[in-house]
Amino acid sequence: MNIVVPIKQVPDLVEELEIAASGKDLDREWLKYKINEFDDHALEEALCFKEAHGGQVIAVAIDGEDVDKALYTAAAKGADRVIKITGEVADNSHAHARALANVIGQLDWNMVFIGVQAVDERDGQTGVILAHYLGVPHISVVTEVQQSGGGVEVVKEFGGGIVAKLEVQPPAVFGIQAARQTPRYVPVAKVRRAMRGTELEEMDAGSVDVTAGSEVVRLFKPESKGGAEMIEGSPEEVAAKLAEIIKSKL
Amino acid sequence: MEVTREVFRNFPLWMQVVFYVVGLGTTAFVLYGFWMRVRKYRRGRDAGRFNRLGQRFLKALRLMATNATVFKRDAYAGFAHWLIFWGFVVLFLGTVTVAFDHDFLEPVFGYRLLQGTFYKWFSLTLDVFGLLFLIGLVMMMVRRAKHPPQLDYTRPDLPPDKYDRKPYLTDDKIFLWLLLLIGVTGFLIEAARIQADGMPEFERWSPVGYALASLMDGLPVDTIHMAVWWFHGIIVLGFLAYMPFSKAMHMVIDFANLMFRDELAARRLPRVSEEKMKEGMGYVKIEDFTWKELLDFDACTKCGRCHVACPARASGAPLSPRDLILDLRTWADDTIGPPELFEQVLRNGNGLKDKKAPAGEVIRAETLWSCTTCMACVEACPVGIEHLTSIVNLRRALVDEGEMEDSLQDALANIGDYGNSFGQSERARAKWTKELDFKVKDARKEPVEYLWFVGDYASFSPNVQEMTRKVARILHHAGVDFGILYEAEKNSGNDVRRIGEEGLFEMLVEDNIAALESAEFREIFTTDPHSLNALRFEYPEFGASYKVQHYTTLLVRLIEEGKIQLKKKLSHYTATYHDPCYLGRYNGEFDAPRKLLEAVGVQFHEMRRCRDNSFCCGAGGGRIWMDDSKLEKRPSEQRIEEALEIPGVNVFVVACPKDYTMYSDAVKTTGNEDKLKVKDIIELVEEAMDLS
Repeated sequence: MNIVVPIKQVPDLVEELEIAASGKDLDREWLKYKINEFDDHALEEALCFKEAHGGQVIAVAIDGEDVDKALYTAAAKGADRVIKITGEVADNSHAHARALANVIGQLDWNMVFIGVQAVDERDGQTGVILAHYLGVPHISVVTEVQQSGGGVEVVKEFGGGIVAKLEVQPPAVFGIQAARQTPRYVPVAKVRRAMRGTELEEMDAGSVDVTAGSEVVRLFKPESKGGAEMIEGSPEEVAAKLAEIIKSKL
Repeated sequence: MEVTREVFRNFPLWMQVVFYVVGLGTTAFVLYGFWMRVRKYRRGRDAGRFNRLGQRFLKALRLMATNATVFKRDAYAGFAHWLIFWGFVVLFLGTVTVAFDHDFLEPVFGYRLLQGTFYKWFSLTLDVFGLLFLIGLVMMMVRRAKHPPQLDYTRPDLPPDKYDRKPYLTDDKIFLWLLLLIGVTGFLIEAARIQADGMPEFERWSPVGYALASLMDGLPVDTIHMAVWWFHGIIVLGFLAYMPFSKAMHMVIDFANLMFRDELAARRLPRVSEEKMKEGMGYVKIEDFTWKELLDFDACTKCGRCHVACPARASGAPLSPRDLILDLRTWADDTIGPPELFEQVLRNGNGLKDKKAPAGEVIRAETLWSCTTCMACVEACPVGIEHLTSIVNLRRALVDEGEMEDSLQDALANIGDYGNSFGQSERARAKWTKELDFKVKDARKEPVEYLWFVGDYASFSPNVQEMTRKVARILHHAGVDFGILYEAEKNSGNDVRRIGEEGLFEMLVEDNIAALESAEFREIFTTDPHSLNALRFEYPEFGASYKVQHYTTLLVRLIEEGKIQLKKKLSHYTATYHDPCYLGRYNGEFDAPRKLLEAVGVQFHEMRRCRDNSFCCGAGGGRIWMDDSKLEKRPSEQRIEEALEIPGVNVFVVACPKDYTMYSDAVKTTGNEDKLKVKDIIELVEEAMDLS
């Protein structure tokens, strides 16, 4: 089975983030980018699946900062094809999903493993919308995918430590929460080798005519208001005061 | 009576013929045996060791003649070995002289060397050395009977039912007993001949033989002579035939191993060729090893000095440098031969015959990852084995496959992304300077006399940063013109290289060299011994040769020049000093820290193991980023307990940021926080300066 893994570069949170003068975006001049952690897990799970059951892993990424490096790293880790999606694509999940669907539609694919969310994402919907555009089922918060009979068995996490196993008949899109193992380390020499020896394919995003999608109105650091009131007294007194406060706020 | 002796006394011609035929046949067999070994080494890659051949030869000759490496830290074994060595050499040369005299000089020139005064001195020399030879052998037998820990062949990585090393013990016994028998029967032949000749007066020049002969009065000495002669002859030839396939091969091979050893082994690791980089950095098949590495495997005499020096083994990790070398030997012998007569047996799926991958199969990954690269094994080895080179070359194969612990992987990823293992922003590297009341110069922007290569731990570790600031303040106070590279400095790559991530190492070297070249300075000093090693020994291969020193060396100079004045004597401290592996063993700087301790006036006492025999803290070679919770007892904890053997000790002095981290932790985990304070040497200098 062939697995497509959309990957995305996101701002590295190790650096101090500054808000741009526009007040709607980060000051991107000094930003460092790294692969979205969940996408890294999606790639790892895809590679594990391939190692166990065969097939191809195809990494795709919408053009942006340091995307080439991320794609070459994916190739060094074992992706069979790496594709950069070029063209105008607005920065929201609807546009991203449309562009991805346009490109994936042209590939020979069975499953899409996509990071369940990204640090710079506003709604965490890319995978869901992508499944819609592709017209296939979608399962989110997946932690393992194994071949089973003609289809696949998927482990999905719910809240409160509950886990479900689901049988799915591909084609399908899975939002990967975590791979079955820590994403592998790829030695620098291998990445350098991939940079020389891998063909970085380019495909056009096609028509990304979406009207939906969120827009940033204002970006700001969490504003904290000072003041904490320590409630003292016996448990009964504390409970009574608490109840009073809650009532006054309702 | 003529002062000489008859060779082949009472031998009919046919007997002589038989002896020559068997003798020459054996010699051919021995040469063939060694040729088989040489053929094996020729299958290895080039090791680049054929430079300065004359110098190499003389150096090996000197080591061989003095047995200096055998004497080191074990005078008893060294002395016994020296006796056996010289006894063997003299007896061998004596035999060669007899053959030369009898088979060449006399038949060709009709001249006989072995007569008169020469014969007398010849007899005396051989008798004395023959006796010393026997004394040496008996000393070794006594030593073995006492079962010293280094001769215990128990493996730390396998349960006893999974292997059998009795063949090794058999080999040891055969080796000793054959030599002893050869010596004793030699004396018996001599004694029988002297008695048969009627105890001539001049034979008193063979004191041992003469004394023995006097006991043989009335015995059938002619028959004894003939019988013992043949017995002696057969075991001598037998010994020769056994040589290339047993422990005895060390007599030949170890000279070569010492001659071709790299003086910078471990300090400067081999590069990976661009060609090789294309397919992977590490060793995956026997042909990947260099001939010197293949020679290393054969050179091991199982003396066990590395085995007892290794901090990984001492803390219960599944690594013994001796066993690693021996396993590689068994594997090499099993795959490309020639076989050893007495090989260890590995059972139940631990056999090496069918193992393909040297890293992960022949030597298990957890064994390779246990190494702290402290270099104690290389330092202790009397025969020039370079364990660390093989270990890193095998680790490289594990890194190629991404086979490592998550925490190590994170550290490498961080170093790759940010240039430091802490995963902090590059721009945070010089944050430690913010609390200083002066500005540390940016060496990229203005020329400085000293460039301070600070290193990761000194820059980022919150516990060590205060030590770093103390160094800065003291140097500032002393008027030293110094600067740093700020965010352009990256991890030096010393440990990255020893983990086996050669590609990342090269990347760091390139980045650091670019930063160094952008700065103007006279020389470098560093607070980090690991960086010191990389900058001093490994960067030059990449085109960056700088004068680099450790901050302790610089401090000594500043005190000598009067720029740092010590006003207070710290005699209330009873201190000991831990030599960091990378400062001591690796870089030979033992004296500067001790001079500082003398200058600050502490009551100084050495630990049991110190200087080049110092014991590792367990953090090197990437171990600081790996899980050490499975160890029976961490090396750092063992070291703290060793320090506490000194009566009244209350300060444990270190001169390495990793040591500071490891030992600050170890005094806590061993519950000795109240008794023993871990102090960086800079704290003592500051206290003695009494700046308040």
